[in-house]
Amino acid sequence: MYKAIIIGGSAGSFQVVTRILSSLHKDFPLPVLLSLHRLKHIRSGFVEALSLKSSIPVKEPGDKDHIRPGIAYLAPSNYHMLIELGSRFALSTAAPVNHSRPSIDLSFFSAAQAYREKLIGIILSGANRDGAQGLERVASLGGKTIVQDPDECQVPVMPKESLKLTGVDHILNSSQIIEFLKKINRNALD
Amino acid sequence: MTKTVSDQDYRLFVNTVKRVSEYDLSDYSDKSLKRRIAKVLSDNKTDIHKLISDINSNTDYLEKIIRGVTVNTTELFRDPKAWHDIRYKVLPELASLPTINIWHAGCSTGQEVYSMLILLNETGLLDKARVLATDINSNVLETAGSGIYKYRFNRGYLDNFDRVIRRNPLNYEEFRDVPYSKYFTIDKDSDTLTIKPFLLEKPVYKKHDLVSCNNFIPGKFDLIICRNVIIYFNYSLQNRIFNFFYQNLHPGGSLVLGMHESISGPMSERFIKSGHAYSKPVKYFGKMI
Repeated sequence: MYKAIIIGGSAGSFQVVTRILSSLHKDFPLPVLLSLHRLKHIRSGFVEALSLKSSIPVKEPGDKDHIRPGIAYLAPSNYHMLIELGSRFALSTAAPVNHSRPSIDLSFFSAAQAYREKLIGIILSGANRDGAQGLERVASLGGKTIVQDPDECQVPVMPKESLKLTGVDHILNSSQIIEFLKKINRNALD
Repeated sequence: MTKTVSDQDYRLFVNTVKRVSEYDLSDYSDKSLKRRIAKVLSDNKTDIHKLISDINSNTDYLEKIIRGVTVNTTELFRDPKAWHDIRYKVLPELASLPTINIWHAGCSTGQEVYSMLILLNETGLLDKARVLATDINSNVLETAGSGIYKYRFNRGYLDNFDRVIRRNPLNYEEFRDVPYSKYFTIDKDSDTLTIKPFLLEKPVYKKHDLVSCNNFIPGKFDLIICRNVIIYFNYSLQNRIFNFFYQNLHPGGSLVLGMHESISGPMSERFIKSGHAYSKPVKYFGKMI
């Protein structure tokens, strides 16, 4: 049984994330970790925008906060969001990686190590290669890997870069991603 | 991408550092530290076993490695909202004191020290302030003391100066025409942004390892600024450091943490939280620990 979902996205991912969050069951049994690039100067209001449609609470985690199921955690602007053993967040202001802070790779690395085969990693639309190595790590530690179908992406670079590095488990459009996540809910409730 | 460090090698490294120096990395947040070690290995073109053997025998090298594994990113007026709290909530509480003793714990290259001094000057409190700034890394303290920064790298943060110093979050119509030249000498040709001498002379910089919780100066503080430092420590060390800060604050004094840091453990009931600041009550009525 899975313990967490991590989603990486950049340009063109906001609407997809919104759709995913709005279609989850309100008792969704896993934490949803969101490592999304955002514009440096639009730092506030992102949580509020995602919350508007989300069926589960959306928050920016504080450092060392416990990770709880049924909550979507958005990496705070200008921080890296890492997962520590013991199910706590650790934030970092270390230098940007590939010009990105939060770095999707770093979030995925630490989540892969913490949850191993119990993690689902999803890479959505985006304009750079951040996340590709992270998703590869999820795969190599036994987790499930999904990329958004490049044909559906507003900006397909990020999923394509992931596909170069990793033989991903599923290439899905956003409706199929939602179906996939809904199945988790049904399995957990059974 | 850099190689990963195994748990076993990680512990070996931490134990070696502890044995051969006064540094104790065992309660650092392991995710960040592991990655920093991997980066140091790749930057120094070495492997973990050679690194461990080298720090055993060479103190200067050990210092270099410690500097490498600790994070020293900082910005002018990082997170303007937190600086609004300092300006409009914290400083008014301290304004009536004859002297305001301020400690920047983990000051890195000093951008927050000068941000604070600019704010003190704008609020007429600069003359009263006594400022100590400490860090584990002696190199960053040298940069902090020089007050010379790369202009291109810091230029983006001048937006934050505008938001904290020029604008008033309570009144968007207000605009204070404070020129950058009041506080900085900017030379685009040499790519430098230099802090003006009247601010430079103010802070005292001193090497101090916060993790040791060693009391290093007599006297207490009215304001402790420690932002984005404790995120690199695990939960139990964070609580030890909150206690250390508590002991080093005057009653009525305040502790300011980073935007996403908070006191959630056993020390939380000793402080009163107000926005991004924690104040030490003038009188504590609970049971003494």
